[in-house]
Amino acid sequence: MPGGDFHPVFFVIVAAWILVAGIGVVAFRNIVHSAVSMIFCFLGVAFAFALLNSELLAIIQILIYVGAISVVIIFAIMLTQQQTGGFKLFFNRQSIWALAASLAVAVLLTIFVVSSKVLPKGTTAHNPNVHSLSSLLFNRYVFPFELISLVLLAAMVGAIVLARKEDDR
Amino acid sequence: MHAVDWWLLLSALLFCIGAYGVLARRNVILVIMCLELMLNAVNLALVALSNFLPGAQGRGSLFALFVITIAAAEVTVGLGIVISNYRNRRSVQADDYDEMKG
Repeated sequence: MPGGDFHPVFFVIVAAWILVAGIGVVAFRNIVHSAVSMIFCFLGVAFAFALLNSELLAIIQILIYVGAISVVIIFAIMLTQQQTGGFKLFFNRQSIWALAASLAVAVLLTIFVVSSKVLPKGTTAHNPNVHSLSSLLFNRYVFPFELISLVLLAAMVGAIVLARKEDDR
Repeated sequence: MHAVDWWLLLSALLFCIGAYGVLARRNVILVIMCLELMLNAVNLALVALSNFLPGAQGRGSLFALFVITIAAAEVTVGLGIVISNYRNRRSVQADDYDEMKG
């Protein structure tokens, strides 16, 4: 695809996909329906990354979010859930205030994005291909890369320690 | 409007949907799911800016990669805490986690 391109039709499809699936996550009463909606939302974000010329991130998004994080969350739901609610929408006492707060933030962000010229019209660039991205990652940013692998290892060990039974020690 | 504005708007709306879920829902697992939605929205903004900003040279995508890794670490630790709390309280509702109420 040419650099800095924008396909209105694809954008509208992907945006509608992401927003409908995202609203499904917060609106369904049954948490399993929310989880399925969340998986669709992650897939939509992967399509958005592909539209933004970032093929590597699209693949990583599908591998990590759709493949791994969704499975972990569904495992947690299966381990903890007894309730099986019907297929209906969820509202409680906090909903109205939460809706007001998040709508206010949405309106503020929309005004900010529309009024402030983030980029002048006509400026264009292009996400680099996998080759230059990986050379950036393993030369200039190799120390954060190693550090983040250590963080991930510590988090996994911590999660196992947190989740195991007390009498196993 | 520049093309990046549309992507930033989509990211802002997804972020606000996630924020609504974090504020309104009581189920802790669902709160973690909505946190993931918010992190995805931030990643979307980073990648969009990286695609349209001259001189970014893919650093936004690289940062989104780090954010995805941190999100994976966060969700494992968060769900570990939820499961160990569930073992003690037999509940995943945030209202039942009130031991530390002053």
